[in-house]
Amino acid sequence: MKRKAKERSNAKLAAALLLPSVFLILLLIIYPMLVNVRISFFEQSINPNIDPVFIGLENYISILTDLAFWQSLGITLLYTFLTVAGSTVLGLAIAILFNRPFAFRKVSRSLIIASYVAPTISLVFAWKYMFNSGYGVINYLTVDIFGLFETAPLWFDEPVLSFVIVVIFAIWRYFPYAFISFLAILQTVDRTLYEAAEIDGASAWDKFKVVTLPAIMPVLIIVATLRTIWTFYIFEDVYLLTNQVPVLGIYLYETAFAFNDLGKAAAISVILFVVLFSVIIISRKRVSLNGNG
Amino acid sequence: MAMASSKKSKTTKKIFFYIGLLAVLGITLFPFFVMLMTSLKSSAEAISRTPTLLPQEWTLEHYRNVFDPVLFPFMMYFKNSFIVSLTAAAISVLFSIFGAYAVSKLKFKGRATINSGFYTVYMFSGLLLIVPLFRIISGLGLYNTLVALIITMVVQTLPASIFMLKSYFDTIPDDLEEAAMIDGLNRIQIIFYIIIPLSISGIISVFVYAFMIAWNDFLFASIFLSSSEKFTLPIGLTTLFSTPDYVWGQMMAASLLTALPVLILYGLSERFIKGGATEGGVKG
Repeated sequence: MKRKAKERSNAKLAAALLLPSVFLILLLIIYPMLVNVRISFFEQSINPNIDPVFIGLENYISILTDLAFWQSLGITLLYTFLTVAGSTVLGLAIAILFNRPFAFRKVSRSLIIASYVAPTISLVFAWKYMFNSGYGVINYLTVDIFGLFETAPLWFDEPVLSFVIVVIFAIWRYFPYAFISFLAILQTVDRTLYEAAEIDGASAWDKFKVVTLPAIMPVLIIVATLRTIWTFYIFEDVYLLTNQVPVLGIYLYETAFAFNDLGKAAAISVILFVVLFSVIIISRKRVSLNGNG
Repeated sequence: MAMASSKKSKTTKKIFFYIGLLAVLGITLFPFFVMLMTSLKSSAEAISRTPTLLPQEWTLEHYRNVFDPVLFPFMMYFKNSFIVSLTAAAISVLFSIFGAYAVSKLKFKGRATINSGFYTVYMFSGLLLIVPLFRIISGLGLYNTLVALIITMVVQTLPASIFMLKSYFDTIPDDLEEAAMIDGLNRIQIIFYIIIPLSISGIISVFVYAFMIAWNDFLFASIFLSSSEKFTLPIGLTTLFSTPDYVWGQMMAASLLTALPVLILYGLSERFIKGGATEGGVKG
């Protein structure tokens, strides 16, 4: 009896404590999701004085028959794959490098995450300057010193080169996330496992395959899943660097705020949401097994 | 003899290791180095065909220009960014302490649902909400206000904040709370006198995380803010791109000053945080 009463008062307290968070999330995440679906059936401009017109599935049809959408999807998938693979492998390699005692370890570790925490705009300015075709240091090195290119490439104005740049930028910027995650788990791996493998005559690659990889697997799955989701919705990193790589984030943003078509933009959001939600449902089953659910 | 050669190979290994370490740090930090050096070069030197590593002529001119309100409203953008980030981070920390305490320490029906709800929302991208949020914010009459940005940043950071704090609270033994209850403390007092002091490093990392997300936000600021006197730094800085002649020295000085608060905050918080389990779980 007493226990029941306690549980009831617990529930009341929990509700009170959760109220601000749940209210805000409902109001500004869940409700907007629903509004998105509604808007997606209308032709609607940014101007609130122009009344929306119900057009059924027309927005969806226009997106799915738009070559730019499929192109954008392809670019985004390739970008996501290269970026996630690159930054995860690099982060893991550097975490393994760091997984030993050495002088300045703590300082080095803090310095490495600088690119990850700094504002995009600052990093973009620095990259734009470094890769400037007139006086950037990268062109000085690749053209004047090493002669890799005849003339300075226009890194931000040519689609393929711009794609290369945004991928390198993202790998450079986001590998610290994988690095920090892997370093934490590597520190928990029992040293004697490596010693035992060494006695058995294992090579460095064997040790990685037999000891390291199984130990870091849960973290690897989480890192790859979260990074894939966030990278798929990349916007400002690419948007601020170049206008030559139309990833889905930019396609959505420009449909809304450059082409003034909120209805179509909402429909894009809904399509992307469905894609995301399927990924979350699949990944949650795997991620939550590791105590994060 | 064998000893000597093994010692030698150990030294070689060490040398290779430090070369590798320097290469990693060099690649990570080079753009920051370029920012700093360009901000201290003369404008002519910044656009010379043969780039210089260090300034031939050191100057603080660009910093003077950045801080001159007649030339560039950097101080105003900085103030706006600061107001938004500080307020959003403070609110996010407070709400997430309450929320995380509820899902970590209280037993109630629907706890698992709430928990997985937070986790699902955590993976959502704000990008998908730009259309409806733009409409809702406009409808509430909050268009072109810092309040719009503050609320949005609180909501965008809440799920991760609750998530991070929950894992800290989970490590606090229930015995402590029971003892405090016997001493006559109620739940609210327990939160303030026991839970918060014991998880201060978690609270600091949540604050730093929320501050960073708000400070770095470009997307929502670009949608909600329309007049220059409301601009935060990421939006304000993009206006430097629109000037016909790139003023690189000034751009680099402004970029560095924009990055500095979060870099300092992270540097300081590292001193307090001893590698919490959720440290890597920052969204970005």
